[in-house]
Amino acid sequence: MTLLELEGVTAAYGPVQVLEDVSLTVPDGGAVGILGANGAGKTTTLRAISGTVRAGGRIVFDGRDVRGLRPDQVAALGIAHVPEGRGTLGDLTVRENLRVGAYLRKDAKGVERDIDYCLDLFPNLQARIRSNASALSGGEQQMLAVGRAIMSKPRLMLLDEASLGLAPSTAKTVYDAIRRLRVESGIAMLVVEQNANLAFTLVDTAAVLETGRTVLTGTSAELKGMDEIRRAYLGG
Amino acid sequence: MARVLDTPTPSTPPPPARSLRQTPWVRWGAPLLLVAALAVLPLVGTESFNDTLARIGVFAVAVLGLNVVMGYTGQVSLGQIFFLGLGAYVTAYGVQQGWNVVLVFVLACLLPAVAGLLVALAAARLGGLAIAMVTIALPIVGVPLAKRLSEFTGGSQGLSARFTDAPEGSGLYDDQFQLYLVLGIGGVVFLLTACLVRGKYGRAFAIVKDNENVASSMGISPYRYKVLAFTIASLIGGVSGFLYMVVVQYTSPETMSFGHSIELLVAMVIGGAGSIAGSLLGGVFYVVVPDLTNAVDPSLTSLLQGALLLLVLFLLPGGLVSLPRALARRLRRSPAGRGSAAPPTPPSSTPGSATAAERPQTERQGHA
Amino acid sequence: MNGHVRSRRTLGIAVASALAVTLSACGGATDAGRGGDTAEGAPSPGITDDSVTLGITTPLSGSTAGPGTCTVAGVRAYFGMRNAEGGIEFGDGQTRTVEIEALDDTYDPQQAAANYDQLKNEVFAMTAGLGTPTNRAWRDAAIADEVPQALIMTGDPIFSDTEQSPWQLGFVPIYQNEGEAFGELLAASGQQHRVAILSQNDDYGEGYVEGFKAAVEGADNIEIVDELTYEATDTSVDAQITELANSGADVIFNAMSLVPLVVGALQKAQQLGWTPSWFLPSNTSSPGAVLEPGGGGAFPGIYSVSFAKAPASPAFAEDEDVQTYLSALAEYGDYPEPPAFPHCQWSWMVGATLEQAFTQMEEPTRDSFMEALRGIQGYEAPLMLPGTSVDTTQDGQPAVSSVVVQKYNGRGYDTVESFG
Repeated sequence: MTLLELEGVTAAYGPVQVLEDVSLTVPDGGAVGILGANGAGKTTTLRAISGTVRAGGRIVFDGRDVRGLRPDQVAALGIAHVPEGRGTLGDLTVRENLRVGAYLRKDAKGVERDIDYCLDLFPNLQARIRSNASALSGGEQQMLAVGRAIMSKPRLMLLDEASLGLAPSTAKTVYDAIRRLRVESGIAMLVVEQNANLAFTLVDTAAVLETGRTVLTGTSAELKGMDEIRRAYLGG
Repeated sequence: MARVLDTPTPSTPPPPARSLRQTPWVRWGAPLLLVAALAVLPLVGTESFNDTLARIGVFAVAVLGLNVVMGYTGQVSLGQIFFLGLGAYVTAYGVQQGWNVVLVFVLACLLPAVAGLLVALAAARLGGLAIAMVTIALPIVGVPLAKRLSEFTGGSQGLSARFTDAPEGSGLYDDQFQLYLVLGIGGVVFLLTACLVRGKYGRAFAIVKDNENVASSMGISPYRYKVLAFTIASLIGGVSGFLYMVVVQYTSPETMSFGHSIELLVAMVIGGAGSIAGSLLGGVFYVVVPDLTNAVDPSLTSLLQGALLLLVLFLLPGGLVSLPRALARRLRRSPAGRGSAAPPTPPSSTPGSATAAERPQTERQGHA
Repeated sequence: MNGHVRSRRTLGIAVASALAVTLSACGGATDAGRGGDTAEGAPSPGITDDSVTLGITTPLSGSTAGPGTCTVAGVRAYFGMRNAEGGIEFGDGQTRTVEIEALDDTYDPQQAAANYDQLKNEVFAMTAGLGTPTNRAWRDAAIADEVPQALIMTGDPIFSDTEQSPWQLGFVPIYQNEGEAFGELLAASGQQHRVAILSQNDDYGEGYVEGFKAAVEGADNIEIVDELTYEATDTSVDAQITELANSGADVIFNAMSLVPLVVGALQKAQQLGWTPSWFLPSNTSSPGAVLEPGGGGAFPGIYSVSFAKAPASPAFAEDEDVQTYLSALAEYGDYPEPPAFPHCQWSWMVGATLEQAFTQMEEPTRDSFMEALRGIQGYEAPLMLPGTSVDTTQDGQPAVSSVVVQKYNGRGYDTVESFG
């Protein structure tokens, strides 16, 4: 059962065409990676889905074309975007940031339960629950950004460079937690990640982008077996 | 939740005042006392004291409106005085036409709100500084427009409307009656606004202010909430215009000149942006400082006001509302205090506190 | 949570102390400050046996600070000089000095009303303040409180209507007076004139045109051939001037309040080769600021009106009035430069006119003062031009309603008796 399908997606920033022809699918409950060099259009693909960049082609989520919707409308459909750079709200505490994620939800009890779940998933946040988000470390902010996405009870999570700027051990902690989340919640994931080794610990399949085009798709195992993929993304 | 207690607590003993703070007497008694004090105030004040207080109320409401769109939602508005002026004109015109005062009040709220809505629908799409530019245009267009539409506005000679003399048999002086009106209407506006910014909408405003992308990704439309904040600010501006007529009883194109918009903005920053109590202090600043500088030397008013503005901004960047906190911090740094973390509140006293304490520290001083 | 309760307590303390301050300020007299009815003949506030205090609210900062400062300086200089001579003998036989209490209203009506509230119980009368909205803002209140608002600087006719404004009297000529004076001169010229009118589309322009039309009504020799307006927000009146030039008018009645537009209009007319006789209002006819840059010498006659001697004019360099005035202004008015605004002269005349009223008032009351103020006739105040005088007895007219028409002579203005 396909949850998200991109077909021939294009996008441009002004005169600069960034996406030429991107196609990929994310099955319900599945986790798909997007690999590619800098400037290949990975982040833009996520933005096209979340509605922050105007896109062409077809973007179908749960049987509905979401192209042209505003970002908040896309979010309301159940797509949570964890943007690069995290975008936590520095003036608010950790708990308040988590509550912000649940803004559209009406089930107060469920919200409290999910806050507890997030804190269980990221024990570091538990210790900082009353701190302002601006006082958190980079890793903690990343955890908070993922936690906030969880709070919106999404069906699909778009993860952009969750390991960026983190110490390897912290990055591993974050990915371990996300993997556990995936198993326990069944949330589908579309993952952009520079560190392909890390990505392959999470995703089942991946699409490779080059200058705005999907050039290759395959399962993790298939891709890991290809020489050029190893050379380009896996460090040997 | 209970695990909060596992975090290491500072070893300082809890301040003795804690028990006092928790007694219901203080929780409910203090606001009641405040209401009682406000009810008695007009009766004991001198006429000029009451006049000053009433004018403070007028501009505190105007600053409050500005705070909704600017302090809470982060959208620069340089046009707030236009909505005050519009509310004042609607009031003056309605009173002159002999309309029912309640109807006049409703119109003085609604027409500025509709005007604000229309402006916001167009301006909020533009984003960033464009909103500020559009709002600059409001008073700049408003003044000549008020001069032109002299059938409604009385042209540059303005409109007088004396409709707030104390009713016969009330035993009140006019200034007392007017102050009661300002306290009543202004008080309700402050209360409603305090509820608004602490509730779900206020949280959305804060998110839009902090990061529009995050807001979008949470399903909050920045556009819609900007329009909402601007409309509410305009409505509150209209209320302040009505109160302006209650107290000043005269309006003219000068009332909405651009300079006053800047003064309102200054008052908001000085009082404390994004704070209910700060709005009140902003009103105090707007009204009392010109009177004070006039008392010092009427030929140096603008110079003295500028100096005072700089002084406050350097000493209290968070505005006057941050003064108690700044003092408390200084006290805590003195030998007795240790550690900067506030002692955690025991969970027993915090049911629902997570929602009540949504705003950063400055706001918490706003429970007035 | 704790933070906010603590601050709540702080606030409570603040309110309590504010209350305490208020109560002590009241000094137990809860009705203090609400004048109420005083006994017949008892002295009004602001006056004792040896002094009287006058209040002024006027712009002392902001864009109208220049003329505003003058409105205080002139009257302060006048009474400073009189006080130094020992004071003024009032109609009740007491000799009093006159103190001035001036507050800045920044041309903000709201602040003007607040200043009035602050002054009304300390001063005997309010006077000399500049501005239509700033005086209108507390007109009703002054009537209700029975506080004189005497000899104020606004051309708004409402202040000179005794019925509507029993406690008010404007000082300077209303716009209609100026337009009327020129209209009368023109109608009496004995020649045929085709007149074009260009006026500001508000009460300012309308007032001038109304006065002019009233004066030329029924005069066979005057034909108004074209009449246009412009907005105060316009940046050019070239189009209007071009149209009026085609009307073949030999006189233009030009009621504009903006100096750059007047300069532009004069230049445009010359460009078109149209050189009519030109009327300008008193506030936009300055030789230095308007006529020199506008090339006023190219026209057969540029006319304006005035009632005060211009201290900067060489014609009055030796004038005794002017010399006394300038030295008093520097010594008592805190205004060392020769003034750039006529408001200083007007304010000096206000002082002299007030003195006339003081010498006539028989009781130290506001009632008596208003009565005396409304009884001045044919008084040639210092600095007044021959042919003008103070007359406070005509209902519907300000204290000075007589102006003389003047014609530009290439450097300054000369009073003229006839057109041409």
